[in-house]
Amino acid sequence: MLKMRSTDLIIRRVFSSLTSLRLQPFSTQPAIQERLETFRTTENSPLNHTEDHIGQFYRIPPETKKQLFLYGGLAKSYEIQTKTFTETCFMVRKPAVDIIYCMKTIDYSKPAIRFVMYGKKGNGKTLSLAHILHYALESKFLIVHVPWVGNWMRRCKESSNSEVKEGFIDLNIDAAAWLIHFKNQNAHLLGDPELKVAEDHVWNKRETTPKDAPLTELVEFGINRIKYASRCVVALAEEIKKLSKAGKCKTFVAVDGFNALFYPQTNILTEKKQVVHPSKVTLTEAFLNLTKFDWNNGVAVVIVDEIAIGEKDQISHLPRYLLGKEGFEHMDPFVPILVSEYTPKELKSCMDYYRERKWVQPLPGQDEELTFLSASNPYRLMLLCNPL
Amino acid sequence: MATVTRLYRQQIFRPSYILSRHLAEDTEFRVLNLKTTRSQPVQRKKLKKPDVLPPRSYQMPVDQDWGSVWPGPRSFHPATVPLPIRQGYVDKGAPPGKYGNAELMKIPNFLHLTPPVIKRQCEALKRFCTPWPRGLETDSKCEDHFPVEVASSNYCYSSPSIRDPMARIVTVKVKLSRIPLDEHAKDKFLRLVGDRYNESTDMLTIVTDRCPLRKQNYDYAMYLLTALFHESWRVEAWEKLKSEADMEYYDWKVSASKKSIETLFGKEHTDITHADTYSQTVDALMNEGESEYSVTKYGEAVRQMLQLPQ
Repeated sequence: MLKMRSTDLIIRRVFSSLTSLRLQPFSTQPAIQERLETFRTTENSPLNHTEDHIGQFYRIPPETKKQLFLYGGLAKSYEIQTKTFTETCFMVRKPAVDIIYCMKTIDYSKPAIRFVMYGKKGNGKTLSLAHILHYALESKFLIVHVPWVGNWMRRCKESSNSEVKEGFIDLNIDAAAWLIHFKNQNAHLLGDPELKVAEDHVWNKRETTPKDAPLTELVEFGINRIKYASRCVVALAEEIKKLSKAGKCKTFVAVDGFNALFYPQTNILTEKKQVVHPSKVTLTEAFLNLTKFDWNNGVAVVIVDEIAIGEKDQISHLPRYLLGKEGFEHMDPFVPILVSEYTPKELKSCMDYYRERKWVQPLPGQDEELTFLSASNPYRLMLLCNPL
Repeated sequence: MATVTRLYRQQIFRPSYILSRHLAEDTEFRVLNLKTTRSQPVQRKKLKKPDVLPPRSYQMPVDQDWGSVWPGPRSFHPATVPLPIRQGYVDKGAPPGKYGNAELMKIPNFLHLTPPVIKRQCEALKRFCTPWPRGLETDSKCEDHFPVEVASSNYCYSSPSIRDPMARIVTVKVKLSRIPLDEHAKDKFLRLVGDRYNESTDMLTIVTDRCPLRKQNYDYAMYLLTALFHESWRVEAWEKLKSEADMEYYDWKVSASKKSIETLFGKEHTDITHADTYSQTVDALMNEGESEYSVTKYGEAVRQMLQLPQ
C-alpha cells in the first residue's frame, strides 16, 4: 500500500514537472498572477488575514509547521496530503478569521474569553484551529495546545494511581509527551527570563522546583521525571495563569476534543477494572483550570467534537449536548463558533487548488458532481478526490 | 352369509306381497324378485310454493310520505325499501343485491330519520322547548359563564335490564387557565394531576368511575377538583428542599449560569448590560432544546454581553 502510494507520488511528480516544463514557454506572467489571486493568497501571515481572504489558501513555512504540529495537531490524512503536495497550505475560512478578529479586538485586561468551535464531523474544525494556532504563534502568544484529548481519555498509554491525591489517576507518559509538545511549540518564548515560577513546588524529599526558577525548569523536570509529569502539568497550568495575570505573557489555550473531559465513559481503568470518570484524571484538572474565566491576558479556543466521545452517544454535534450539563456550566458564557461545510466559493477554490497540485484531472462538470457527492463536506471531498 | 339372512328376512316380512304378484301373473313364470324393484316409479309430490305478493316497493308512488312507510327504527327490509341497494363482497361479479342479503340486515340504518321526518319531529317538539338563554349565544360565551364541563352518557337499548354500568362514568373538563393559580400552585397542580392535563389545549380532564352511581361519581369529581385546588395552594415545609435537578424547566435565575456571569462581571446581573437578552437565550437554549438557531442566538447574546464584534 505504502509502496503503491510512493510510486504513485513519483509518477505524479514526474508528470507535473514534465507538464510544467512543457507549459512554461506558453504561459505568461500576468496569467499566473490572475490564477494565484483566485484560490491562493500571497498573504502568508495570519496576522493580516481578513474576510477578503476567505476561501483562499496560504502557505505555512515548513519550520513553523514543524514547531507547531510536530507532535500532533493535524489530521493524519491531511499530513499525508501535505507530504504529497510538498507544501502545507491552509484555507482561510470564516470561523478562524472570526476568532482571529475577536482576538485582535479583545480587551486583555478583562477575564479570559472562551470560544467553542463546533460542527459536523470532517467540517474542518481542527484545521481552523491550526490556522488560529499559527496566528497565536505569529502574535507571540504562549501556546497551550492539546492536539486531541481523546488520546488521553480513550487510548492512554498507561495509567497509575496518583500519589498525592487520593482516588485520582495519573497519565504520566501522555503528560510528559504533552510537555514535550508544549516545550516545542513555545521554544521561542520559554527563553524569556520574565517567565518564572511563582511558588515552590516540592515533588519529593530531595527534588523541588524553587520559586523564581525559570518556567523551562518546571517543564524540563516533568519531561525528565515522568513519574511527576501529571503533577507537573497541573502546576504548569497554574503557573501560566499566574504569569498571565501578572501580565508577563499572553496565553492562548487550544484544546481539541474538549468534550472528552466531560464524557463519563473513558477507557481508563483502575486496578479494580472500574471505569475512571474524567474528573478523576489529574490532567483534566489542569485544562479545566485553564478554561475558566478567572484570569486575564488569555484566550481559550476549544473544539467540541463527536468523535471524542463513544460511538453510541454520537447523536448531535451541538455544543450543549456534547459538553453536557457540567461542561456547559463550566464554559458558560462561551462564544459558540460554527464550522460549517464548504461554501460554493470555498469548494471551487479547494478544487482549483487540487487541480493546480495535479491531484485531480480536470473534467467538465466535475465540481458540481463532487459538491453533490460530498455534500460540501471537506473531509469527504478529500476522500472523493484521492482516486481522481 | 349376510345375503342369506337378508333374503330370509324379506320372505318372512313380505309374504303377502309376493303372493299377490303370484295371483296377478299366474300365467307367467314366477320370478323371485330379490331387489323388490317396482315396475313403475312412484311420482314424487311436488312442493307447492305458497303464493307471495310481489314486493311492496313495486307499487309505491314516487311522491309517497316516506315517514309513514318507515316510521320507526327497524332492520332493513328489501321489499319495503324502493332502492336498488347492493351490499357485500363476492370474489367475482357485483356485490349481492338486496333480497335475502344478511349484510344489509346486520348494519344499523337511519331510514326512519330522513331530513323531512326530523324537521317534522322538531316542529312537533318545538312547543315543549324554552327559549335559548340570552347571553349564551356563542360557544365562547358559554365557556365564559360555565367553565366546568360535565359529561356523562345514557344508554338505551332493549335488554332485560335498562341500566348500563357505563352510565355511571362522569367526565369533568375544565380549562386550567380558568383556575386561579400562582406559579408555585400551578407547578404543584400539574404535578398532582399528571397526564390528566393536556398542554396543547390547556384542558384538565377528570374521569370518575369508582362509585356505582352517577351522582356519587359527580360528587367525587367535584371533590377532587376542590381538593386539587386547595392542595396546590398549600406550601409544605419539604417543598423548600427542591433543587435544580427537580425543576421541571430551566430557570436561569437560580442557575449556575447566572452565578458565573455575576462573578465574571463582579456585579449583580441586573447591572450588567445585555444580561437580560443573554438570560433569555440561555433559557431558550435549555428549555426549547438545542438547535442551530438557539445556539446562534446564544452566541450573539454572549458576544453582545462580552462586547465582542458580531
